[in-house]
Formats: sequence, C-alpha cells, structure tokens
Amino acid sequence: MQQATLMNLLPTLVVALPLLGGALALPLRRLGERTRILVLGALCAATTLGVLALVPGALAGEARAVSLVHFAPQVELYLRVDAMGALFAATVATLFLLALVYSAGYLRRDGRETRYFAFFMLSQGWMLGVAFSGNLVTLLVFYELFSILVYPLVVHEETPEAIRAGTKYIVYILVGGSLILLGVIFTFYLAGERPFTPGGILDPGTDRTLLLVTFWCLVAGFGVKAALMPLHGWVPDVHPAAPASFSALLSGVMVATGCFGILRVVFEVFGVELAAALGVMPVLTGVAAVSVLLAAILAAGEDDLKRRLAWSTISQMAYVVLAVSLLAPHVTAGALVHISNHAFLKGALFFCAGLLASQAGIRRVSEMAGAARRMPVTMAVFTIAALGIVGVPPLSGFISKWVLGVGILEAGHPLVLLVLLGGALLAALYLLQPVWMAYFHAPGATGPERRRPEAPLSMLIPLVAAALISILLGLAAAMPGLPLSLAERAVAAFFGSG
Amino acid sequence: MLPGSLAGTVYVYDLVDFPPGIGIGFRADGLGMFFALVSSTLWVVTTIYAIGYMKGKHARVRFFGFFALCVSTTVGLAFAENLLTLFLFYELLTICTYPLVIHDETPEALKAGRKYLVYTLSGGALILLGVVLVQHLAGTLTLSMPGVLSLAAGRPMLGATFLVLVAGFGVKAAIMPLHGWLPTAMVAPTPVSALLHAVAVVKAGVFGLLRVIYNIFGVDLLAVLGYTSWLALFASFTIVAGSLLALAQSNLKLRLAYSTVSQLSYIVLAASLLTPLAALAAIAHIANQAFAKITMFFVAGAIERTTGRTHIHELAGIGHVMPWTMGAFTVAALSFIGMPLFAGFITKWFLSLGALQAGAWWFVLLMVASSLLNAAYWLPILYLAWFREPRGLPGGVHEAGALLLVPTLISAAYVLLLGMTSRIPGMPFSLAQAAVRFVTGM
Repeated sequence: MQQATLMNLLPTLVVALPLLGGALALPLRRLGERTRILVLGALCAATTLGVLALVPGALAGEARAVSLVHFAPQVELYLRVDAMGALFAATVATLFLLALVYSAGYLRRDGRETRYFAFFMLSQGWMLGVAFSGNLVTLLVFYELFSILVYPLVVHEETPEAIRAGTKYIVYILVGGSLILLGVIFTFYLAGERPFTPGGILDPGTDRTLLLVTFWCLVAGFGVKAALMPLHGWVPDVHPAAPASFSALLSGVMVATGCFGILRVVFEVFGVELAAALGVMPVLTGVAAVSVLLAAILAAGEDDLKRRLAWSTISQMAYVVLAVSLLAPHVTAGALVHISNHAFLKGALFFCAGLLASQAGIRRVSEMAGAARRMPVTMAVFTIAALGIVGVPPLSGFISKWVLGVGILEAGHPLVLLVLLGGALLAALYLLQPVWMAYFHAPGATGPERRRPEAPLSMLIPLVAAALISILLGLAAAMPGLPLSLAERAVAAFFGSG
Repeated sequence: MLPGSLAGTVYVYDLVDFPPGIGIGFRADGLGMFFALVSSTLWVVTTIYAIGYMKGKHARVRFFGFFALCVSTTVGLAFAENLLTLFLFYELLTICTYPLVIHDETPEALKAGRKYLVYTLSGGALILLGVVLVQHLAGTLTLSMPGVLSLAAGRPMLGATFLVLVAGFGVKAAIMPLHGWLPTAMVAPTPVSALLHAVAVVKAGVFGLLRVIYNIFGVDLLAVLGYTSWLALFASFTIVAGSLLALAQSNLKLRLAYSTVSQLSYIVLAASLLTPLAALAAIAHIANQAFAKITMFFVAGAIERTTGRTHIHELAGIGHVMPWTMGAFTVAALSFIGMPLFAGFITKWFLSLGALQAGAWWFVLLMVASSLLNAAYWLPILYLAWFREPRGLPGGVHEAGALLLVPTLISAAYVLLLGMTSRIPGMPFSLAQAAVRFVTGM
C-alpha cells in the first residue's frame, strides 16, 4: 500500500522537484557555488530516477493519473503517465541531467548564472509536465509556461545577436502559442473536458470545416516549435545565440516537444481514423518531406557549426512529422524512437560544439582542420554522434532509421523512403565533412592559435555519457524498458490493438 | 454575508422611499457582492499603499477623506437595489473622485479635472434620462429580476433607452469614443489612478452596463432585440484600438491607461455576447483586471517615487535594482498576456468559449489578436527591466519602502491566486458563478 501511494505521487513529484530547484537557485547562492550545483544536481538526478521509475509501469500499461487542480470548472490540470509520455519524459530528464553537469563547467561566472540555473530547473519541470499532460488544457498550460519562460536562457549571453534571436523566438512562440490556444478552445468546445484517449476524443460527426480549422490550428501551432518549414525561422538564429549547454536541450528536446504535441493531437485528440478521414495527412507528408530535404541542403551550405547543427535538427525532426503523417503503426513507433535517439545524438553534438568554441575558439566548420589532434575525446564523441545521426549501425540513429524505413514500406509509400534516404545521405555530407576536416586536415594557418588542451574531465563526462547512451540505445534496442519497447506499447494503443 | 451570497441568498434592505414609489434600497446579490468584495479588498490594499505614497505630500486629510468616501459610494453602488440608487451612488462617485483627480492642483491637473467632470456628468445626465425612461416603460426600477422591460414597450422606445443607458455608463466604462477622460485623468497621484482606473470609477461604469444588460433588459429580450451585437462591435473596436494606442505610449502610466481602456471592453464584449460562459468571463474579469492593473499602477508609482522615472525607455535595468517590484509587474503582465495559471487566462478562456457558444468565432480570433497585442506592449517593458544593465540610476537606489512594496506584492499574489484557485468556494470566481446562475437562469 505504502509503495502504491509513493508511486501515485511520483508523477507530481517529478514535475515539482525541478520547480523546487528553480525556486532554490537564488537562495542557494549564499551557500556557495559548489553546494548549489550539488543540490541542483541532486534534485535533477532524483527527478531523472523518478521518471525512470515510472517506465516499468507505463510499459506494463498501467495508467497512473493524478488530477492536480481544477483551476476553473471543467478545466483541470491532469497528469497521466502513459508509454509515450514516459518515453519522452525519460529522454527529457536524462538529457537535462547531462546538460546540467555540462552547464556547471561551461557557464562563465558572471553573475548571470543564478538566473540561468533558476530557469533551467524551471524549464525541466514544465517540460516534464508537458510529457505527463493528461489532457489538452494541461498540455497547453505547461507548454506555454515553458515556451515563454525559457526566454532568459535563450538570451543568456545578452549579446546583440542573442537579444535579436530572443525577440525572434518570442514572436514565433507567441504566435504559435496563440494558434494552439485557438485549437484548444475549439477542441474544448467540440469535445468538452476529456483526457487524451488513444483513438481520439473528437466526434467524427462534427462539422468538417470546424474540425479542419481545429486541426490546422493545433498542428501549425505545435509546428512552430517542431520547426516544420516554413515555420522554422527561429531555429537557426536561436541555436547559435544560446549557450551551448542550452542549445543541446533546444535541439534535443525542445523542438521535439512540438513533435510530441503533434503526436498527441493526431493520435489522441483526432485519432487515426478521423485524421485519415479528414484527408489532411498527404499535405502534412508533403510539407514534412520538403522540410527534411530542404533543411538538409541548407545545413550542407552552412559554415557556422552551431547553425549547421540547427538546420540538421529541423531536418531530423521533420522525420517525425513525416512518419506521423503516414498514420501507420510501425512508422509511428519509429518516430517515437527517433525523438529519443535524436535527443542524445544532437545533444552530444551541441556539447561538442560548445567545447570546440570555448576551448579552441572554433565556431566554423572551415576552422575545424586538425581539431582532433587538439581535442581527441571531444572529436571522438562528435564522430560517434555524427555517425549516429547519419544512421550507421550499431548506433541508435540506425535503429530509428531502420524502424522508420521498414514502417514506411509497410505503409506502402516507397517514395517517402527516398526522402528518408536522401535525408540520411545529406546528413552524411554535412556532418561527416567536419569530422573529416578535423581528422585528416593539418591545422591551417587560418586556424586560431590558442592552444589549449582538451576540456576538463568534468565537462567531458556528459559528452561521453551521451555517446555511451547512444551506443547502448543502438546495441540493446530490443531490450524491454528502452525506447523501442515503450514506443511499441504506445503505438499499440493508438492503433487499437493494445 | 459571503456564504449566503454563494448559496444564492439575497439580502434586501429598503432605506427610504424618497420619491413616492421609488426607494433607495440595498440588496446584496451575487454580482453586487462580487463587485463590493473586489473593491473593498483593493481599497484596503490601496490605502496602505497610499499612506506610503503620500508621505510628505500636501492636503493629506482631504485626500484620505475623499478616498474613503469613494469606496463607500462604490460599495453602495454595488449593493444598489434599484436603478435610481445605482444612479445616485454613481453620481456621488463622480463628485467624490474629483478632488482626488485634481489633488496636485497644478493647472494641468485642474484642466484634467474639468475634462473628467464634463465627460462623467454628461454621462450621468444620459443615465438619468435612461432611468426615467425605464421607470416610464416598466413601472419599476428594481434590479432584482432578470430583466424588467418587455417587448410590449415598442422597439423605438427600447432602442432609445438602451442607447442612453449604454452611452451613459459607457463613459466611465471608457468605450471608445467615450474614453477621452481616462488618459487625461492620469495626472492624479498614482494611488488614485490605481483606484480610479482599476477599480472604482471604471468598474462602476462596467458594473452599470452589466446591470442594464442583465437586470434591466434581460438576456432574453436583448437576444430578440439584437442591440448587443452593435455593442459588441464597439467593444471589439475599443479592445484593438486601445491596445494599439497603448503600444504608442512612452509614458508608463499612459500605457497603463490605454491598456485599461482596452481591457474594460473585454467585460463589455463578454456581457454583450449574452451567453452564460461569456457572462462568467465578464464578471470574473472585473476582478482579474482589477488586481492585475492595480499591481501595475502600484509598480509605476513605486518606480516614480523611488527613482523619479515615468517613461518606459528609462526603465532599463530597473529589475536589477527593484527585483520584487518588477517581479510583481511581471506577474501582472503575464496575466494580461493570458498565460495559463495567471488570472487573465481564465477570462480569455471563458470569453472564447462564450463566444463559441454564441456562434461568434471571430471574437475568439479577436481574443487571440488582443493577447498578442498585450504581449507586444508588455514584453518590451519586461525585457528592458530584466535584460538590460541599469544606466544612469543614482547610487543607493534600491527597492521601494515596505508600505509601497507590500501592497504591490499582495495584489500580485492575488493575480496568481485568482488564476489557480478559482474552484475554491468563497474565491471571487465562485461568486461570479453564483451571479451568472442568477442572471441567466442556469
């Protein structure tokens, strides 16, 4: 009984712990920098453990739900742990933990780090709230809070570029948020207060125009965050401007939040059948396919390393939307796995990019010549992650590409498979070029002269951890409890066989 | 009296019958209780603030005397049993606030005071006309029924009555083009601006409008007559135009004033939609707007008193020196933008649902556009305050004194409370629900 009570509290607890951390960041300053990092790290680790503890239950299909507050009649904050939420939350929590460790070494001590840590912890809490949202209103609440409250992290450096990027970010996000709000209001009007249900909560008999409006409001709204072209404008500017520790999260999990929202909308608000009946999915397929290829081409043409990675994120996350739009079971499982695999790979890449910039002053691909000699560990991790994104076995990226590919063929869309392959080939072009430069080019005369050795050990830990996780997710992909099993569990529910 | 009101009990007290047949009477129903509670709570808070703010200023006895009178008239207005009582207190309120508006006695203040009187007294005259018309058409002025007029009175007469009453109350509710006095009256000391523009005066106008719509005409009659769609149009225009004007202001208090103009029309718009959920939004917004706006005025006043700055571009880095004050401002701003968990979201949510109930989806778009506009004029202030280094501030400037700070924090806390706990009985929201049950017969 005691055990059961604790488990029931757990979803609330994992959302509340980081928020507590956010509130403590300022008062803890008095105890000194080390203590603060330790306390925040402990909270973050506890959160991660809590989320991981929820995984077995979600895998077994237990629905654990908590109603937090009815903050107005018929409107309640409702947390629920399901397989998809647990998968996303586990990814988010783990990557945040890595990023926190990385931040501790990466941030300059310039008096602004208190603000950084406070909002960092807060955003983790809100994001876990998004993952565990049990209905659309709760999703909206957490989504809006975290979208707007990460602004201080985006502009952390307070350089003119960062400020400009921040303004761009807030405008995009507010417009996107308004669209989502519209969609949520329409949904609420049509379906009332109902939790997410696999198979959809909307009545297929309602007015088709209204359904279409609702669908596009929600998808376009989340599409802003998911960086679906042509709504991607903020991504390439915000990533380079934000501190690397946060860019990793931006690329790894924040953009994925948009995808997560789209998944919830398509499978648990509209449902597979209604979404298919609306006939909107081919349009979404087209948009996503263009995003995959176009963003990859733009990535190849970009010299700034962090911008190139940002374009890569746009391309990679469009895979998810592409997969969702096919409305077939396996390909959806692939999409879910891809969210999680991509998070660690791209997180690792951004961690590396941050170290390259801070240790060796390398910000551009063209400056990377010979970087591997100076920073062997960093470049080794970079290489592993790059290969993972390209989809080389046995790394985790291969698993998601494989499941996606098989699913696409199963759904009977061979043309879409070409998009997938094209994306992978382009990824090889834009990510392996820097690797090649770093290993096989002699440091040029143009390269920066600052010779500093490899980054300190404490910062390499998160890098290596991210790489190891990626390898593990690739080698042991079939193990229960790892992303694939959770994704299959979630998909079984969406397609009505679970 | 609160539990009784929640249960739907109505307290009635007839004071005097002063023209034969029409008495001055009091009656505390849900809507009245709601308004009275909001105003008296805020009055306590504002008085504490005013003590801090007016320290060392002249004519403080006059100031606090009229300040207290204002609130008693507002509560009288809230509990008015019939339209005549309402009108009397409405006029009294105008007179009581005049000395507060002109408190500084500068030529500018006197001029603003004149403008204020001209606007509000003309409005009052229109209301008087309306009161007479209602008495003539319905034979009663009581506010205790969901509508006293009937279609039998004839459309032209009903139209005229509606027009004069709405135009009359619309002056204080600052519906464009009747809003001219409000920005001018900003010369008043800040606690007065706060009380005037967040609570007593403007809300008296709005409250009058709600009474006219729900208790004089009644929802059913107005649905047949269709006048409210015109009112909704005016309100929509005011929401957008007020926000655009706010965007153009560089003086913080003026921006607050135009934002008030815009926000008040949310209530008017919601009331004119005539659906139960929109009514809920209308009533709830009385409190939501009041607490958030008064917080902002407190902040503007605290900044003015501690640093002497009144313009937005001078606020760079103010968050670093006055973190608590600007924290309160941030809460209020996020509420206006309609962030979930803040009070403003409740309004936005129910107003949108109410609009859908009325089949008017374009008002939902309007809501969204308006919250974006709100973001456009509040977020730059937040940005300036938090993300810029303070420049040119004299050394030793720090947080405002406790008398200014504590009320600010209390009202900011209320904004959060209103947003999160509207389910708890006894919170304003449940009163609003009680009021709506009554007026719409839910």
